[in-house]
Amino acid sequence: MIRDIYAYRCRKCGRLHYPFRMVCKECRQNDFFDFDLVPLPKTGKLLTFTKVYNLPAEFEVPTLGLGIVELENGLRITGQLEVDDPRIGMAVRGEVKPVRKSAYDTFYGMVFRAG
Amino acid sequence: MRDVYVGGIGITTFTRLEYPLSEIAAYPAMMALKDAGIRDVDHLYVANMGSARVNHQTALASAVVDSLSLTPAGAAVIENGPASGASALKAGFAAVASGLHDVVLVSGAERMREVNNLEATDFVATLTHPLAEYIYGVTLPSHAAMFTRLYMEKYGLTERHLAMVAVKNQNNAMLNEFAHLHQPITIEGILDSPEAMTNNPYVAEPLRFFDACPVSDGGAAVILVSDDVAKTIDRPLIRLAGVGQATDTHAVHEREEPTDLLAVRRAAAQSFEMAGLRPEDVDVAELHDAFTILEIVESEEVGFFPKGEGHVALEKGETAIDGSLPINPSGGLKGKGHPVGATGVAQAHEIVTQLRGEAGDRQVDGPQVGFTCNFGGFGNNVVCLTFVREGR
Amino acid sequence: MAVDLERILRPVDNPLKPFEAKYMTLASGENMVVRQIDRDDVPDVLRHIEPLLHVERDFYDVVAARVYAELLAYYRHRMQDEYVLVAQVDGELVAVVNGREVTPGLGMSLHTIALRRGLRVGAHAFAAKMEYHIDTLGHQEVLIVAESPIGFRRWMIEYQLEKRFDTPHELGGVPSWALTKELFDRARSTLVVGRRPVPPEMLAKAEAKILPPSDPPTPPADLLAATRSLYDPTATALIAQRTLLGGEADNA
Repeated sequence: MIRDIYAYRCRKCGRLHYPFRMVCKECRQNDFFDFDLVPLPKTGKLLTFTKVYNLPAEFEVPTLGLGIVELENGLRITGQLEVDDPRIGMAVRGEVKPVRKSAYDTFYGMVFRAG
Repeated sequence: MRDVYVGGIGITTFTRLEYPLSEIAAYPAMMALKDAGIRDVDHLYVANMGSARVNHQTALASAVVDSLSLTPAGAAVIENGPASGASALKAGFAAVASGLHDVVLVSGAERMREVNNLEATDFVATLTHPLAEYIYGVTLPSHAAMFTRLYMEKYGLTERHLAMVAVKNQNNAMLNEFAHLHQPITIEGILDSPEAMTNNPYVAEPLRFFDACPVSDGGAAVILVSDDVAKTIDRPLIRLAGVGQATDTHAVHEREEPTDLLAVRRAAAQSFEMAGLRPEDVDVAELHDAFTILEIVESEEVGFFPKGEGHVALEKGETAIDGSLPINPSGGLKGKGHPVGATGVAQAHEIVTQLRGEAGDRQVDGPQVGFTCNFGGFGNNVVCLTFVREGR
Repeated sequence: MAVDLERILRPVDNPLKPFEAKYMTLASGENMVVRQIDRDDVPDVLRHIEPLLHVERDFYDVVAARVYAELLAYYRHRMQDEYVLVAQVDGELVAVVNGREVTPGLGMSLHTIALRRGLRVGAHAFAAKMEYHIDTLGHQEVLIVAESPIGFRRWMIEYQLEKRFDTPHELGGVPSWALTKELFDRARSTLVVGRRPVPPEMLAKAEAKILPPSDPPTPPADLLAATRSLYDPTATALIAQRTLLGGEADNA
């Protein structure tokens, strides 16, 4: 199953938002939920990244890669990074996978690999 | 608007405090009341971020106001993440300036060491965007790290500059009896010796252990009073002259220019405008160095140095206690400690101490204007305050 | 008669290769020497461990009590094949680690106690102990347990130890974890530091005298204030502290 994360396009001015917000940042229209859902593209370039060593106890791994990616359509997204040797500007490809388990809940999010 | 003055101040040692949270809030409040020589207040604001989550206690202000036997004065908690402290001061300022109250006691308190470091980091991380950041394991150190990497790339900042901030602030903290860390460090020990990388491991690349503030317990209090009340208090006259606050996008990745901290820039500009002053008028500043990078960036964004040149000023020693613009003489969050809810009030405490000329070994030479920057979230909610010493 | 009985009670130590002293620079820029001490030095260490018996914070009391007992047992010949390493800065005692050899292939890590905080002295001393087990004594595996959250984070997570929950540890109670040679090799580049040989004057200073710690953890006025304040939101733990601080000692 291929999963997606959605961006929100304002029906009035067309501006894309991620993550969700109640009011468009551009035209500040105030109709309730006047957005179209648009799947976020999966490819983009790495804007910045880190490897974290002190993680919340829920993560049973010693380190975790995190990065901000500028997607093809210009939107940016924060995600996990599974790249051995990340560099600023490198091309990455994302996949929506479980990123965090908390008690009985599993959260899905974007995980990026090189490519 | 009426003028607002600082009547009294108080603080606890920042460390692990094995006291109930309500006492950590009440103790500095008592010191501040003694300092001002007054018994009655009209209103109490308690700044705190984590009482419910970390300490299993809610409605802290009700507990504190009664513990201080100040009832029936009004009381409320101000929770605004790590900017809770200065936000509570802003609320107190508004109350006095508007004429609603004459004496407002603002006490910030946090007890984070009740849980272990990992839980404390997770607790602070809950201020990030719940669906776009928190679920990935994004913590404040990781935000700061991703920001630092961009800054290094763009402005030629190096790990050495970060280490210089750590050494400066931790050595300043040696002169502050209330500081958490009384442990001198050297560039050699954390950067140059063969063992340095083990002494100072990464917490989130490229940030290292000594780039981050400690997890602290502590409290600080400031009493804000009207002009009429200030005249009756026999203490040096310090005016809270400027209050500025600005916000930015919740998710950090949504910011157009990722190396800008616009909320800091705007909050500082607002604060200076209200005070009728400019950044170059400031004699001493307390900036929110939860991570060493932040001291450098904030010193640029508030207008002390041009963008991208904060680290040059640092290299020249301009931000040392005996420099032209001392930053974080108290040790900052890095050396003094960072009990999140208390930090904004503690910054004000230090500035008032400095302006009064009561800072002892870490006293800056004759300051007239002091400035604080309390940085909430990862720069999404920032409060800046300007203090001025007047006459007397 | 007494002599004969002592012969039965006293374990016969196997010869263990000595630990070669090393030194490292701390974050403070000071140099720390880690070296092995022998029986005769034990009383000099014990006098600095004893005050920690009353420090509840971070389980210092539990660890100090057990270190005290283990060092005493070593000194008075009641534990077999034990060794003790100390870490010193300018002669000042900053950490003590100990352990023993169970079989020629298996080491048993006993305790690590740091008398100075915030400079990773405990972590460096622990790494030296593991180096001694794996490299000098040639153990295939060292069994380790943690008695404090700090220890757990440092050892179990930083070294990513393997679980050995079915093998009892000599300290009892808590489940065992193991550091294997392979895990140690992986940690070598990041966690195991130190330079040899120790400059003669530095070593001479350390060996001359074990000086008392300058800033050891100290007990609060009310020995159980931490625990009590957790379960007692009415602040009577505080009142008890004040009474003690004011000299009106009534600890009932």
